[in-house]
Amino acid sequence: MACKACTPRLAPAAPRSTFRALLLTLPIAVWSLLMFFHPGVNTDPKSRIAATVTAVFMTVLFFMMMRTGKTYRWRRYFFVTLGFLFPVGFIYNLILVRGTMGIPIEEMIAGRTPFCFLPIPLLILPAALTKTIIFPGSITASRYAIAGMMGLWLAITLVLGKGWCAYACFFGGIEEGMAAVPKRARIRKIDPRLRYLPWAVLLATMLLSLALFDSVYCTWLCPFKAVTEYVTARSTIGIIQNGVFILLFAALVVVLPLLTKKRTQCSFLCPFGAFQSIFNKISAFEVKIDRTRCKSCGVCQNACPNFSLSKESIAQGETLLSCMKCGACVDACPHQAAVWHIKGTELAWKPERARLMFLYAAWAAAVMFGGSIIAQGLVTILHFLA
Amino acid sequence: MVIFAVFGEALTLGLVSGPACMAACGPVLVPSLLSEQTGFRRHLRFLSAFLGARLLGYLLFAAVAWEIGALVSMPLGSRVLLMGAVNVLLACVLFWYAYSARQICGSSCSSSKLVKIGTTKESRVAGAAVLGFLTGFSLCPPFVAAGVRAAELGSVTQALLFFIFFFVGTSVWFVPFIGISCVARNQAVITVARMAMALIALYYLFLGIAMLMGRKAYGL
Repeated sequence: MACKACTPRLAPAAPRSTFRALLLTLPIAVWSLLMFFHPGVNTDPKSRIAATVTAVFMTVLFFMMMRTGKTYRWRRYFFVTLGFLFPVGFIYNLILVRGTMGIPIEEMIAGRTPFCFLPIPLLILPAALTKTIIFPGSITASRYAIAGMMGLWLAITLVLGKGWCAYACFFGGIEEGMAAVPKRARIRKIDPRLRYLPWAVLLATMLLSLALFDSVYCTWLCPFKAVTEYVTARSTIGIIQNGVFILLFAALVVVLPLLTKKRTQCSFLCPFGAFQSIFNKISAFEVKIDRTRCKSCGVCQNACPNFSLSKESIAQGETLLSCMKCGACVDACPHQAAVWHIKGTELAWKPERARLMFLYAAWAAAVMFGGSIIAQGLVTILHFLA
Repeated sequence: MVIFAVFGEALTLGLVSGPACMAACGPVLVPSLLSEQTGFRRHLRFLSAFLGARLLGYLLFAAVAWEIGALVSMPLGSRVLLMGAVNVLLACVLFWYAYSARQICGSSCSSSKLVKIGTTKESRVAGAAVLGFLTGFSLCPPFVAAGVRAAELGSVTQALLFFIFFFVGTSVWFVPFIGISCVARNQAVITVARMAMALIALYYLFLGIAMLMGRKAYGL
C-alpha cells in the first residue's frame, strides 16, 4: 500500500468557492474591459453590444475554469466560437471591401492581402537569404500587417509554446467543433507514423517556398482558403487549386474530425503547428505525467485531440513535442496523474499554481487575439439581424 | 589572358548566382540527405555523386544545345516541354527514392552504401547521381544566364569550360549541405524526410504534367 502522506500534492479535485473563483477571475475581467472598451474603439451601438457580449463571455469562461478546476471544456467553448465566427466576420469584411471572396493576382501583387500566421515558417529562409518577405501582404501598412502580426505571434509563442494552437489559432476551432459532435470515434486505429506528416509538410513547403519564391502552402495546400479568401480561378490551374482547398477542408476539417473525434488537420497537415511545436522547448509551461499515480489506463491518450500522447511517452512521464496544452488529458485523467508543470520545478510542485500561471498568460492572449475576432463576428451577425 | 578573364567571369557568375542554385536544388537535396544515415563521409560521398552528376547534366545539355544551335535560342515551347519532362522524371525518381530509402533502412540502418534506384540486383545506379543529373538539366535563371554567355564563346570546348567554371562557382554554395550530416538520425527524422520527398515529388509531378500539357503552373 502506498503511503497517503507520501503522495504528491494533487490538483484540486473539488471546485473552488465562488468568491475565490471570482477573485481569481478579476484580472481577466479587467483585461477584457481594457481590451474592448478603451477610448476610440467600439463607438457604434452594434460594436458596443458585441464587445460587451464578448467581454462577458470570455470572463465567464475563465471564471468557470477557476470554479470547476477544469480547463478543456470551457476553453473549447471559446475556441469553437472563435473558429466559427472568424469566417463570418472575415468573409463579410472581404465582400464589403472587394465585393468577392476571391482574391485576384493584382491584389496579391499590390500587397493588399490580410496577413495570416500560417505561412510564418515559410518566410524564414527567403527572408534570411535574400531579405525578401515572400508573403504578398503589406509589411507595415495596416493593423493586419506582417510586422505587427509577427511581433504579436512571437510574444505569445515565447510564453505559450504550442499553446498558440489551443488559445490563439482562429482556424482550429472549426475542426474542434466537428470533433465534439459525435459521442464516440468511429475510426480509432490510426497509424502513429501519420503524426510525422506536419513535419514533412513543413520541410517540403519551406524548401519549395525558397525555391519558387512563393508561399507554397498558401498557394496549394491551405484548407482554410475554402472559408476565407480563395484564389480567383481564371484558369484550369486556379480551379485545381481551389479544388484542393475544398477537398482538404472537407476531409481534414469536417469529415475526419467527425469520424475520429480528433483535430485531424492540426495533427496531419498543419506545418505551422509543427513549427510551433519547436517552441515548446522554450516555453516554461508543460504537461507532465506523474508516473507515481499513472495506472497506464490510456484515458489521457484517448482524450488528447492531436495525438500528443503515446504509450512510450506516457511511460516516460512526458507528452510529445506536439502537445498544445489544451488540458484535455489533465481533465480526463481519473487518477490526476496528468499535471500542469513549470519547467525547472519539481513535478509535485503545486500543479494548480502552474495551471493558473499558464492560464493567465493563455487567456490574456485569447482575449486579445481571439476576443477581437469573436466581437467582429458578432458585429457582422448583429448587422444582418438589424 | 582574355580566356582567363572569361573563365574568371564564369566562376564569379557561379559564385553570385549560387544561392539561387542552392534554393533550386534544396527541395531535392535536403530530404534525400536527411533520409541517409548520419556520417560526414557518407554525406560527402552523396554530395560528390550529386554534384558530379549535376556537372555531367550541365555539360551534356550545353554540348547538345551547342550542336543544335539552341543554347540561347531554344523556343519557349520546347523549353517548357523539356522542363516538363525533366520534372516528371525527377518526380518519379524522388518517389522511388523515398520508397528505396525505406528498404535500405529496413534491412540495415548502418548500411554504408548510397541508396540505390531499384534493388541492388537489378540496378546499380546511385540515386544521388540520378537526382544530380536531373537537377543539372533544370533551366533555372543562373543556368540560362551562363548559357547566354557561353554561347558567345568561339568553340564548344570553350563553352564547356565556361560551364565547368560556372559549376565550380555554384558548387561552393553546396558545401553547407554537408552540415546535414550533423543532424541526429532516428526513425522519425528518416520518416519525415521520406514523406517530404514524396510531397515534393507530387509537386514536381503536377508541375511537369502541367508543363507538358502547355499550362502555366501559376496561371492565376
